Amino acid sequence: MSTLRIKNLHAEVEGKEILKGINLEINNNETVAILGPNGHGKSTLFNVIMGHPRYKVTKGSIFFDDVDVLALSTDQRSKLGLFLGLQNPSEVPGVINSDFLRAAVNAHNDNPISTYNFYKVLDNAVKEVQMPFDLATRSLNEGFSGGEKKRNEILQMLLLEPKISMLDEIDSGLDVDAIQIVADVIKKQQQKGQGFLIISHYARLFDLIQPTRAIVIINGKVVLDGGKDIIQRIDKTGYEFIKTELGIEIQKEEAKMNTVSIGSCAVKEAIKK
Amino acid sequence: MICQDFRIVNLNEFSDKKSASFDIKNNEKLLFIGCKDFNLTINVLENVSALISMLFLNDDSSFKLTINLAKDTQIEAFCADFAFETFKNNVSINLLGEGAICNWHLASLSQKADNKSHSISATHYAAKTTARIDNYGVAKDDSHLTFLGVSHIKDGSAKSKTSQNAKIMVFDEESIGTAKPILKIDDNDVVANHAAVVGKINEEHLFYLTSRGLCEDSAKALITLGYLKPILAGFDDNHQKQIMDLIEGRMNNVRY
Repeated sequence: MSTLRIKNLHAEVEGKEILKGINLEINNNETVAILGPNGHGKSTLFNVIMGHPRYKVTKGSIFFDDVDVLALSTDQRSKLGLFLGLQNPSEVPGVINSDFLRAAVNAHNDNPISTYNFYKVLDNAVKEVQMPFDLATRSLNEGFSGGEKKRNEILQMLLLEPKISMLDEIDSGLDVDAIQIVADVIKKQQQKGQGFLIISHYARLFDLIQPTRAIVIINGKVVLDGGKDIIQRIDKTGYEFIKTELGIEIQKEEAKMNTVSIGSCAVKEAIKK
Repeated sequence: MICQDFRIVNLNEFSDKKSASFDIKNNEKLLFIGCKDFNLTINVLENVSALISMLFLNDDSSFKLTINLAKDTQIEAFCADFAFETFKNNVSINLLGEGAICNWHLASLSQKADNKSHSISATHYAAKTTARIDNYGVAKDDSHLTFLGVSHIKDGSAKSKTSQNAKIMVFDEESIGTAKPILKIDDNDVVANHAAVVGKINEEHLFYLTSRGLCEDSAKALITLGYLKPILAGFDDNHQKQIMDLIEGRMNNVRY
Protein backbone atom coordinates (compact mmCIF):
# COMPACT_ATOMS: atom_id res chain seq x y z
CA MET A 1 0.00 0.00 0.00
CA SER A 2 1.24 3.51 -0.87
CA THR A 3 0.45 6.58 1.20
CA LEU A 4 0.63 10.27 0.35
CA ARG A 5 1.25 12.33 3.52
CA ILE A 6 0.88 16.11 3.50
CA LYS A 7 1.87 17.91 6.70
CA ASN A 8 1.39 21.58 7.58
CA LEU A 9 1.72 22.60 3.93
CA HIS A 10 1.99 26.31 3.23
CA ALA A 11 2.28 27.61 -0.32
CA GLU A 12 2.07 30.94 -2.08
CA VAL A 13 1.68 32.25 -5.60
CA GLU A 14 3.16 35.62 -6.57
CA GLY A 15 3.73 36.43 -2.90
CA LYS A 16 0.16 35.64 -1.82
CA GLU A 17 -0.27 32.75 0.60
CA ILE A 18 -2.97 30.34 -0.60
CA LEU A 19 -2.32 27.18 1.41
CA LYS A 20 -2.08 27.92 5.12
CA GLY A 21 -1.31 24.60 6.76
CA ILE A 22 -2.85 21.68 4.87
CA ASN A 23 -2.78 18.30 6.63
CA LEU A 24 -3.95 15.31 4.63
CA GLU A 25 -3.21 11.63 4.26
CA ILE A 26 -4.47 9.34 1.51
CA ASN A 27 -3.77 5.70 0.73
CA ASN A 28 -3.79 4.31 -2.79
CA ASN A 29 -6.99 2.33 -2.13
CA GLU A 30 -8.96 5.41 -1.09
CA THR A 31 -11.05 7.90 -3.05
CA VAL A 32 -11.23 11.29 -1.36
CA ALA A 33 -13.72 13.93 -2.47
CA ILE A 34 -12.36 17.47 -2.07
CA LEU A 35 -14.91 20.21 -1.65
CA GLY A 36 -14.75 23.90 -0.88
CA PRO A 37 -15.74 27.28 -2.25
CA ASN A 38 -13.87 28.74 -5.23
CA GLY A 39 -10.51 30.34 -4.54
CA HIS A 40 -9.76 28.56 -1.26
CA GLY A 41 -6.84 26.39 -2.38
CA LYS A 42 -8.16 23.12 -3.82
CA SER A 43 -6.53 23.43 -7.26
CA THR A 44 -3.46 25.06 -5.69
CA LEU A 45 -3.01 21.95 -3.55
CA PHE A 46 -2.99 19.72 -6.65
CA ASN A 47 -0.58 21.99 -8.50
CA VAL A 48 1.76 22.13 -5.50
CA ILE A 49 1.74 18.33 -5.15
CA MET A 50 2.64 18.05 -8.86
CA GLY A 51 5.32 20.78 -8.68
CA HIS A 52 3.93 23.61 -10.78
CA PRO A 53 6.71 26.26 -10.98
CA ARG A 54 4.33 29.16 -10.24
CA TYR A 55 3.66 27.90 -6.72
CA LYS A 56 6.23 28.25 -3.94
CA VAL A 57 6.10 26.01 -0.90
CA THR A 58 7.08 28.05 2.15
CA LYS A 59 6.55 25.45 4.90
CA GLY A 60 5.56 21.84 5.43
CA SER A 61 6.18 18.53 3.72
CA ILE A 62 4.77 16.06 1.21
CA PHE A 63 5.91 12.46 1.36
CA PHE A 64 4.84 9.59 -0.87
CA ASP A 65 5.73 6.60 1.30
CA ASP A 66 9.30 7.47 2.28
CA VAL A 67 10.03 9.69 -0.74
CA ASP A 68 10.23 13.46 -0.25
CA VAL A 69 7.98 14.65 -3.08
CA LEU A 70 9.01 18.31 -2.74
CA ALA A 71 12.61 17.37 -3.54
CA LEU A 72 11.58 15.92 -6.93
CA SER A 73 11.05 17.56 -10.31
CA THR A 74 7.58 17.41 -11.89
CA ASP A 75 8.50 14.53 -14.22
CA GLN A 76 9.96 12.55 -11.32
CA ARG A 77 6.70 13.01 -9.38
CA SER A 78 4.82 11.60 -12.37
CA LYS A 79 7.17 8.60 -12.49
CA LEU A 80 6.66 8.14 -8.76
CA GLY A 81 2.99 7.41 -9.48
CA LEU A 82 1.24 10.77 -9.14
CA PHE A 83 -1.09 12.07 -11.84
CA LEU A 84 -2.85 15.42 -12.20
CA GLY A 85 -5.89 15.66 -14.47
CA LEU A 86 -6.06 19.38 -15.10
CA GLN A 87 -9.13 21.59 -14.92
CA ASN A 88 -8.05 23.48 -18.06
CA PRO A 89 -5.52 21.37 -19.96
CA SER A 90 -3.18 23.39 -22.19
CA GLU A 91 -3.58 23.44 -25.94
CA VAL A 92 -0.12 22.76 -27.38
CA PRO A 93 -0.05 23.61 -31.11
CA GLY A 94 1.91 21.31 -33.38
CA VAL A 95 2.46 18.58 -30.78
CA ILE A 96 0.55 15.57 -32.04
CA ASN A 97 -1.50 13.95 -29.29
CA SER A 98 -0.35 10.41 -30.07
CA ASP A 99 3.34 11.51 -30.19
CA PHE A 100 2.87 13.09 -26.79
CA LEU A 101 1.07 10.04 -25.38
CA ARG A 102 3.77 7.70 -26.65
CA ALA A 103 6.49 9.95 -25.22
CA ALA A 104 4.67 9.90 -21.87
CA VAL A 105 4.33 6.10 -21.93
CA ASN A 106 8.01 5.73 -22.86
CA ALA A 107 9.01 8.08 -20.04
CA HIS A 108 7.40 5.64 -17.60
CA ASN A 109 9.13 2.58 -19.03
CA ASP A 110 12.76 1.52 -19.15
CA ASN A 111 12.40 0.27 -22.71
CA PRO A 112 10.51 2.17 -25.43
CA ILE A 113 7.19 0.63 -26.36
CA SER A 114 6.99 -0.69 -29.93
CA THR A 115 4.78 1.14 -32.41
CA TYR A 116 2.44 -1.88 -32.71
CA ASN A 117 2.07 -2.33 -28.96
CA PHE A 118 1.55 1.38 -28.39
CA TYR A 119 -1.28 1.60 -30.91
CA LYS A 120 -2.87 -1.51 -29.40
CA VAL A 121 -2.75 0.02 -25.90
CA LEU A 122 -3.91 3.39 -27.25
CA ASP A 123 -6.78 1.82 -29.19
CA ASN A 124 -8.04 0.00 -26.08
CA ALA A 125 -7.81 3.14 -23.94
CA VAL A 126 -9.53 5.28 -26.59
CA LYS A 127 -12.39 2.76 -26.72
CA GLU A 128 -12.67 2.75 -22.94
CA VAL A 129 -13.13 6.54 -22.75
CA GLN A 130 -15.25 6.41 -25.94
CA MET A 131 -13.17 9.09 -27.61
CA PRO A 132 -12.97 9.40 -31.42
CA PHE A 133 -9.58 7.94 -32.49
CA ASP A 134 -8.87 10.96 -34.70
CA LEU A 135 -8.40 13.05 -31.55
CA ALA A 136 -5.24 11.05 -30.94
CA THR A 137 -3.85 12.17 -34.28
CA ARG A 138 -4.58 15.87 -33.86
CA SER A 139 -2.54 18.58 -32.11
CA LEU A 140 -2.63 18.15 -28.33
CA ASN A 141 -5.98 19.55 -27.09
CA GLU A 142 -6.04 22.10 -29.91
CA GLY A 143 -9.60 22.68 -31.06
CA PHE A 144 -10.88 20.02 -28.62
CA SER A 145 -14.20 20.76 -26.95
CA GLY A 146 -14.25 21.03 -23.14
CA GLY A 147 -15.54 17.46 -22.89
CA GLU A 148 -12.93 16.11 -25.32
CA LYS A 149 -10.14 17.71 -23.28
CA LYS A 150 -11.42 16.02 -20.12
CA ARG A 151 -11.64 12.63 -21.85
CA ASN A 152 -8.09 13.15 -23.08
CA GLU A 153 -6.99 13.66 -19.48
CA ILE A 154 -8.68 10.40 -18.47
CA LEU A 155 -7.06 8.69 -21.47
CA GLN A 156 -3.63 9.81 -20.23
CA MET A 157 -4.46 8.52 -16.76
CA LEU A 158 -5.35 5.14 -18.20
CA LEU A 159 -2.13 4.93 -20.23
CA LEU A 160 0.15 5.96 -17.34
CA GLU A 161 -1.53 3.87 -14.61
CA PRO A 162 -0.60 6.08 -11.64
CA LYS A 163 -0.88 5.04 -8.00
CA ILE A 164 -2.77 8.20 -7.01
CA SER A 165 -4.68 10.42 -9.42
CA MET A 166 -5.71 13.98 -8.68
CA LEU A 167 -8.66 14.98 -10.85
CA ASP A 168 -9.51 18.67 -10.85
CA GLU A 169 -13.15 19.27 -11.82
CA ILE A 170 -12.94 16.44 -14.31
CA ASP A 171 -16.76 16.52 -14.61
CA SER A 172 -17.02 20.16 -15.71
CA GLY A 173 -17.87 20.43 -19.38
CA LEU A 174 -19.07 16.82 -19.54
CA ASP A 175 -22.60 15.85 -20.50
CA VAL A 176 -24.53 13.21 -18.53
CA ASP A 177 -23.36 10.30 -20.70
CA ALA A 178 -19.74 11.43 -20.59
CA ILE A 179 -19.83 11.73 -16.78
CA GLN A 180 -21.04 8.12 -16.68
CA ILE A 181 -18.14 7.03 -18.93
CA VAL A 182 -15.58 8.84 -16.76
CA ALA A 183 -17.17 7.39 -13.61
CA ASP A 184 -16.98 3.87 -15.06
CA VAL A 185 -13.26 4.33 -15.78
CA ILE A 186 -12.63 5.66 -12.26
CA LYS A 187 -14.55 2.72 -10.71
CA LYS A 188 -12.49 0.27 -12.73
CA GLN A 189 -9.27 1.90 -11.62
CA GLN A 190 -10.52 1.95 -8.00
CA GLN A 191 -10.90 -1.82 -8.20
CA LYS A 192 -7.29 -2.06 -9.41
CA GLY A 193 -6.21 -0.24 -6.23
CA GLN A 194 -5.67 3.24 -7.67
CA GLY A 195 -6.21 6.09 -5.21
CA PHE A 196 -8.07 9.28 -6.12
CA LEU A 197 -8.25 12.85 -4.92
CA ILE A 198 -11.17 14.41 -6.75
CA ILE A 199 -12.30 18.03 -6.80
CA SER A 200 -15.86 18.66 -7.90
CA HIS A 201 -18.63 21.12 -7.12
CA TYR A 202 -21.37 18.65 -7.97
CA ALA A 203 -22.67 15.56 -6.17
CA ARG A 204 -23.48 13.70 -9.38
CA LEU A 205 -19.97 12.35 -10.05
CA PHE A 206 -19.50 11.48 -6.37
CA ASP A 207 -22.84 9.59 -6.39
CA LEU A 208 -21.46 7.45 -9.20
CA ILE A 209 -17.98 6.73 -7.85
CA GLN A 210 -18.77 6.53 -4.10
CA PRO A 211 -15.76 8.20 -2.41
CA THR A 212 -14.46 6.64 0.78
CA ARG A 213 -13.98 10.05 2.42
CA ALA A 214 -14.75 13.72 1.89
CA ILE A 215 -12.75 16.75 2.99
CA VAL A 216 -13.55 20.44 2.87
CA ILE A 217 -10.84 23.04 2.20
CA ILE A 218 -11.60 26.57 3.34
CA ASN A 219 -9.20 29.51 3.79
CA GLY A 220 -6.30 27.29 2.70
CA LYS A 221 -6.86 24.62 5.37
CA VAL A 222 -8.68 21.30 5.68
CA VAL A 223 -11.53 22.24 8.02
CA LEU A 224 -13.55 19.04 7.74
CA ASP A 225 -12.51 15.43 7.14
CA GLY A 226 -15.21 12.80 7.32
CA GLY A 227 -17.63 10.51 5.56
CA LYS A 228 -19.34 10.98 2.21
CA ASP A 229 -22.48 12.35 3.94
CA ILE A 230 -20.62 15.72 3.86
CA ILE A 231 -21.07 15.76 0.09
CA GLN A 232 -24.86 15.43 0.28
CA ARG A 233 -25.06 18.06 2.98
CA ILE A 234 -23.04 20.62 1.00
CA ASP A 235 -24.99 19.79 -2.15
CA LYS A 236 -28.26 20.58 -0.34
CA THR A 237 -27.33 23.44 1.98
CA GLY A 238 -24.03 24.91 0.75
CA TYR A 239 -21.18 25.95 3.08
CA GLU A 240 -23.19 28.02 5.57
CA PHE A 241 -22.97 25.33 8.27
CA ILE A 242 -19.17 25.70 8.32
CA LYS A 243 -19.70 29.15 9.79
CA THR A 244 -22.65 28.36 12.05
CA GLU A 245 -21.44 25.01 13.41
CA LEU A 246 -17.64 25.26 13.20
CA GLY A 247 -17.37 29.00 13.69
CA ILE A 248 -15.11 29.45 10.66
CA GLU A 249 -15.55 32.66 8.71
CA ILE A 250 -15.32 31.93 4.98
CA GLN A 251 -13.07 34.52 3.35
CA LYS A 252 -14.46 35.98 0.17
CA GLU A 253 -12.53 35.55 -3.07
CA GLU A 254 -10.79 38.84 -3.83
CA ALA A 255 -12.07 40.46 -7.02
CA LYS A 256 -9.21 41.27 -9.38
CA MET A 257 -8.92 44.97 -10.05
CA ASN A 258 -8.55 46.20 -13.58
CA THR A 259 -5.21 47.95 -13.92
CA VAL A 260 -6.79 50.70 -16.03
CA SER A 261 -9.50 52.39 -14.02
CA ILE A 262 -12.26 54.60 -15.31
CA GLY A 263 -10.67 57.31 -13.18
CA SER A 264 -7.37 57.22 -15.03
CA CYS A 265 -9.11 57.29 -18.43
CA ALA A 266 -11.20 60.24 -17.29
CA VAL A 267 -8.09 62.07 -16.11
CA LYS A 268 -6.42 61.57 -19.49
CA GLU A 269 -9.53 62.85 -21.27
CA ALA A 270 -9.66 65.85 -18.94
CA ILE A 271 -5.99 66.69 -19.64
CA LYS A 272 -6.63 66.51 -23.42
CA LYS A 273 -9.45 69.04 -23.10
CA MET B 1 -2.43 21.58 -61.18
CA ILE B 2 1.09 21.26 -59.74
CA CYS B 3 3.12 18.14 -60.53
CA GLN B 4 3.42 15.91 -57.44
CA ASP B 5 7.15 15.21 -57.85
CA PHE B 6 9.81 17.69 -56.82
CA ARG B 7 12.50 18.83 -59.23
CA ILE B 8 15.58 18.86 -57.04
CA VAL B 9 18.27 21.40 -57.87
CA ASN B 10 21.59 20.99 -56.11
CA LEU B 11 23.23 24.40 -56.15
CA ASN B 12 26.58 22.87 -55.24
CA GLU B 13 26.79 21.87 -58.89
CA PHE B 14 26.94 25.59 -59.73
CA SER B 15 29.66 26.20 -57.15
CA ASP B 16 32.10 27.71 -59.65
CA LYS B 17 29.58 30.42 -60.61
CA LYS B 18 27.99 31.19 -57.23
CA SER B 19 24.90 32.53 -58.97
CA ALA B 20 22.09 31.19 -61.10
CA SER B 21 18.79 32.25 -62.59
CA PHE B 22 15.75 30.05 -63.18
CA ASP B 23 12.61 30.76 -65.15
CA ILE B 24 9.58 28.81 -63.96
CA LYS B 25 7.32 28.36 -66.95
CA ASN B 26 5.16 25.47 -65.79
CA ASN B 27 3.29 24.55 -62.65
CA GLU B 28 5.86 22.59 -60.64
CA LYS B 29 7.61 21.92 -57.33
CA LEU B 30 11.25 22.94 -57.03
CA LEU B 31 13.59 22.07 -54.20
CA PHE B 32 16.92 23.92 -53.92
CA ILE B 33 19.68 22.35 -51.83
CA GLY B 34 23.17 23.55 -50.93
CA CYS B 35 22.95 27.30 -50.99
CA LYS B 36 26.25 28.49 -49.44
CA ASP B 37 27.23 32.02 -50.56
CA PHE B 38 24.84 31.76 -53.47
CA ASN B 39 22.93 34.37 -55.42
CA LEU B 40 19.76 32.83 -56.84
CA THR B 41 17.10 34.50 -58.96
CA ILE B 42 13.78 32.85 -59.74
CA ASN B 43 11.46 34.34 -62.33
CA VAL B 44 7.92 33.01 -62.21
CA LEU B 45 6.24 33.52 -65.55
CA GLU B 46 2.61 34.55 -66.08
CA ASN B 47 -0.20 32.29 -64.86
CA VAL B 48 2.17 29.79 -63.23
CA SER B 49 1.54 28.20 -59.83
CA ALA B 50 4.59 26.72 -58.14
CA LEU B 51 6.01 25.47 -54.89
CA ILE B 52 9.58 26.56 -54.16
CA SER B 53 11.48 25.03 -51.27
CA MET B 54 14.92 25.70 -49.87
CA LEU B 55 16.84 23.53 -47.49
CA PHE B 56 19.77 24.85 -45.43
CA LEU B 57 21.68 22.04 -43.81
CA ASN B 58 25.06 21.74 -42.15
CA ASP B 59 27.06 24.80 -43.18
CA ASP B 60 25.00 26.01 -46.16
CA SER B 61 24.50 29.69 -45.60
CA SER B 62 24.81 33.35 -46.63
CA PHE B 63 22.41 33.29 -49.44
CA LYS B 64 20.66 35.87 -51.57
CA LEU B 65 17.37 35.00 -53.22
CA THR B 66 15.23 37.11 -55.51
CA ILE B 67 11.80 35.89 -56.59
CA ASN B 68 10.10 37.89 -59.37
CA LEU B 69 6.40 37.15 -59.83
CA ALA B 70 4.64 38.02 -63.07
CA LYS B 71 0.90 38.56 -63.55
CA ASP B 72 -1.47 36.00 -61.99
CA THR B 73 1.25 33.82 -60.51
CA GLN B 74 0.95 31.96 -57.23
CA ILE B 75 3.92 30.78 -55.16
CA GLU B 76 4.13 28.81 -51.95
CA ALA B 77 7.71 29.18 -50.70
CA PHE B 78 9.21 27.12 -47.87
CA CYS B 79 12.62 27.70 -46.32
CA ALA B 80 13.95 25.25 -43.74
CA ASP B 81 17.08 26.53 -42.05
CA PHE B 82 18.81 24.04 -39.78
CA ALA B 83 22.36 24.99 -40.70
CA PHE B 84 25.12 25.86 -38.25
CA GLU B 85 27.03 29.11 -38.66
CA THR B 86 26.91 32.84 -38.61
CA PHE B 87 25.30 34.25 -41.69
CA LYS B 88 22.94 36.72 -43.27
CA ASN B 89 20.27 35.62 -45.71
CA ASN B 90 18.47 38.13 -47.89
CA VAL B 91 15.26 37.31 -49.69
CA SER B 92 13.50 39.79 -51.96
CA ILE B 93 10.06 38.94 -53.27
CA ASN B 94 8.98 41.25 -56.08
CA LEU B 95 5.29 41.13 -56.97
CA LEU B 96 5.58 42.66 -60.42
CA GLY B 97 2.33 41.64 -62.12
CA GLU B 98 -1.27 42.20 -61.15
CA GLY B 99 -2.83 39.37 -59.14
CA ALA B 100 0.51 37.82 -58.07
CA ILE B 101 0.42 35.91 -54.80
CA CYS B 102 3.31 34.73 -52.62
CA ASN B 103 3.07 32.90 -49.31
CA TRP B 104 6.47 32.56 -47.61
CA HIS B 105 7.15 30.16 -44.71
CA LEU B 106 10.46 30.05 -42.83
CA ALA B 107 11.47 27.75 -39.99
CA SER B 108 14.86 28.46 -38.45
CA LEU B 109 16.76 26.91 -35.57
CA SER B 110 19.81 28.69 -34.17
CA GLN B 111 22.11 27.18 -31.58
CA LYS B 112 25.64 26.89 -30.23
CA ALA B 113 26.74 30.51 -30.71
CA ASP B 114 25.15 30.81 -34.17
CA ASN B 115 24.36 34.34 -35.22
CA LYS B 116 21.72 34.12 -37.94
CA SER B 117 19.87 36.88 -39.66
CA HIS B 118 17.05 36.35 -42.12
CA SER B 119 15.80 39.38 -43.99
CA ILE B 120 12.65 38.61 -45.96
CA SER B 121 11.14 41.52 -47.87
CA ALA B 122 8.18 41.73 -50.22
CA THR B 123 7.60 44.63 -52.58
CA HIS B 124 4.24 45.14 -54.28
CA TYR B 125 4.68 46.85 -57.65
CA ALA B 126 1.21 46.04 -59.07
CA ALA B 127 -2.44 46.12 -58.03
CA LYS B 128 -4.25 43.20 -56.38
CA THR B 129 -1.05 41.50 -55.27
CA THR B 130 -0.78 39.47 -52.08
CA ALA B 131 2.23 38.59 -49.92
CA ARG B 132 2.21 36.78 -46.63
CA ILE B 133 5.52 36.33 -44.79
CA ASP B 134 5.55 33.89 -41.85
CA ASN B 135 8.89 33.44 -40.08
CA TYR B 136 9.15 31.01 -37.16
CA GLY B 137 12.32 30.42 -35.20
CA VAL B 138 13.89 28.88 -32.13
CA ALA B 139 17.03 30.32 -30.51
CA LYS B 140 18.94 28.16 -28.03
CA ASP B 141 22.41 27.60 -26.52
CA ASP B 142 23.75 31.15 -26.50
CA SER B 143 22.74 31.89 -30.11
CA HIS B 144 21.27 34.99 -31.75
CA LEU B 145 18.44 34.78 -34.28
CA THR B 146 17.13 37.81 -36.13
CA PHE B 147 14.13 38.16 -38.42
CA LEU B 148 14.02 41.35 -40.43
CA GLY B 149 11.95 42.33 -43.40
CA VAL B 150 10.10 45.14 -45.08
CA SER B 151 6.74 44.67 -46.75
CA HIS B 152 6.42 47.61 -49.10
CA ILE B 153 3.27 48.43 -51.04
CA LYS B 154 4.21 50.90 -53.76
CA ASP B 155 1.91 53.68 -54.93
CA GLY B 156 -0.48 52.35 -57.57
CA SER B 157 -0.76 48.88 -56.00
CA ALA B 158 -4.38 49.30 -54.90
CA LYS B 159 -6.31 46.34 -53.45
CA SER B 160 -3.05 44.67 -52.42
CA LYS B 161 -2.65 42.72 -49.21
CA THR B 162 0.53 42.22 -47.24
CA SER B 163 1.50 40.76 -43.91
CA GLN B 164 4.78 40.18 -42.02
CA ASN B 165 4.74 37.80 -39.05
CA ALA B 166 7.84 37.00 -37.04
CA LYS B 167 7.81 34.67 -34.05
CA ILE B 168 10.87 33.52 -32.10
CA MET B 169 10.91 31.14 -29.15
CA VAL B 170 13.95 31.76 -26.93
CA PHE B 171 15.02 28.71 -24.94
CA ASP B 172 17.49 30.07 -22.42
CA GLU B 173 18.72 33.25 -20.72
CA GLU B 174 21.82 33.46 -22.94
CA SER B 175 20.04 33.33 -26.32
CA ILE B 176 18.69 36.39 -28.08
CA GLY B 177 15.77 36.70 -30.49
CA THR B 178 15.18 39.87 -32.51
CA ALA B 179 12.15 40.43 -34.74
CA LYS B 180 11.57 43.58 -36.77
CA PRO B 181 8.78 43.19 -39.32
CA ILE B 182 8.38 46.58 -41.01
CA LEU B 183 5.58 47.92 -43.21
CA LYS B 184 5.92 50.71 -45.78
CA ILE B 185 2.65 51.69 -47.38
CA ASP B 186 2.42 54.19 -50.26
CA ASP B 187 -1.13 53.39 -51.44
CA ASN B 188 -4.33 53.98 -49.48
CA ASP B 189 -6.60 51.19 -50.65
CA VAL B 190 -4.69 48.22 -49.17
CA VAL B 191 -4.73 45.73 -46.30
CA ALA B 192 -1.52 45.46 -44.27
CA ASN B 193 -0.52 43.99 -40.95
CA HIS B 194 2.58 42.93 -39.09
CA ALA B 195 3.27 41.06 -35.87
CA ALA B 196 6.34 40.24 -33.82
CA VAL B 197 6.49 37.80 -30.92
CA VAL B 198 9.70 36.97 -29.04
CA GLY B 199 9.33 34.99 -25.86
CA LYS B 200 10.20 32.04 -23.72
CA ILE B 201 8.70 28.61 -24.12
CA ASN B 202 5.21 28.57 -22.59
CA GLU B 203 5.52 27.63 -18.92
CA GLU B 204 2.09 25.98 -18.82
CA HIS B 205 2.92 23.80 -21.85
CA LEU B 206 6.17 22.72 -20.23
CA PHE B 207 4.44 21.89 -16.95
CA TYR B 208 1.72 19.94 -18.75
CA LEU B 209 4.22 17.76 -20.61
CA THR B 210 6.53 17.23 -17.63
CA SER B 211 3.54 16.35 -15.42
CA ARG B 212 3.16 13.28 -17.67
CA GLY B 213 6.71 12.14 -16.98
CA LEU B 214 8.64 13.78 -19.84
CA CYS B 215 11.90 15.31 -18.64
CA GLU B 216 12.31 19.00 -19.40
CA ASP B 217 14.65 18.39 -22.37
CA SER B 218 12.22 15.91 -23.95
CA ALA B 219 9.28 18.27 -23.38
CA LYS B 220 11.17 21.16 -24.98
CA ALA B 221 12.17 18.95 -27.92
CA LEU B 222 8.57 17.87 -28.49
CA ILE B 223 7.30 21.45 -28.31
CA THR B 224 10.06 22.64 -30.69
CA LEU B 225 9.31 19.88 -33.12
CA GLY B 226 5.64 20.86 -33.08
CA TYR B 227 6.56 24.51 -33.54
CA LEU B 228 8.87 23.98 -36.53
CA LYS B 229 7.16 20.95 -38.07
CA PRO B 230 4.64 22.83 -40.29
CA ILE B 231 7.60 23.58 -42.62
CA LEU B 232 7.58 19.89 -43.62
CA ALA B 233 4.58 20.59 -45.87
CA GLY B 234 7.03 22.08 -48.38
CA PHE B 235 9.20 18.98 -48.79
CA ASP B 236 9.11 15.47 -50.21
CA ASP B 237 9.07 12.38 -47.96
CA ASN B 238 12.84 11.84 -48.02
CA HIS B 239 13.67 15.40 -47.06
CA GLN B 240 10.86 15.47 -44.50
CA LYS B 241 12.55 12.57 -42.73
CA GLN B 242 15.95 14.23 -43.07
CA ILE B 243 14.61 17.46 -41.52
CA MET B 244 12.87 15.57 -38.68
CA ASP B 245 16.06 13.63 -37.90
CA LEU B 246 18.04 16.83 -37.99
CA ILE B 247 15.74 18.67 -35.58
CA GLU B 248 15.80 15.71 -33.21
CA GLY B 249 19.59 15.58 -33.47
CA ARG B 250 19.88 19.33 -32.89
CA MET B 251 17.68 18.94 -29.79
CA ASN B 252 20.45 16.86 -28.18
CA ASN B 253 19.06 13.52 -29.35
CA VAL B 254 16.57 13.43 -26.48
CA ARG B 255 14.18 10.49 -26.41
CA TYR B 256 10.46 11.20 -26.49
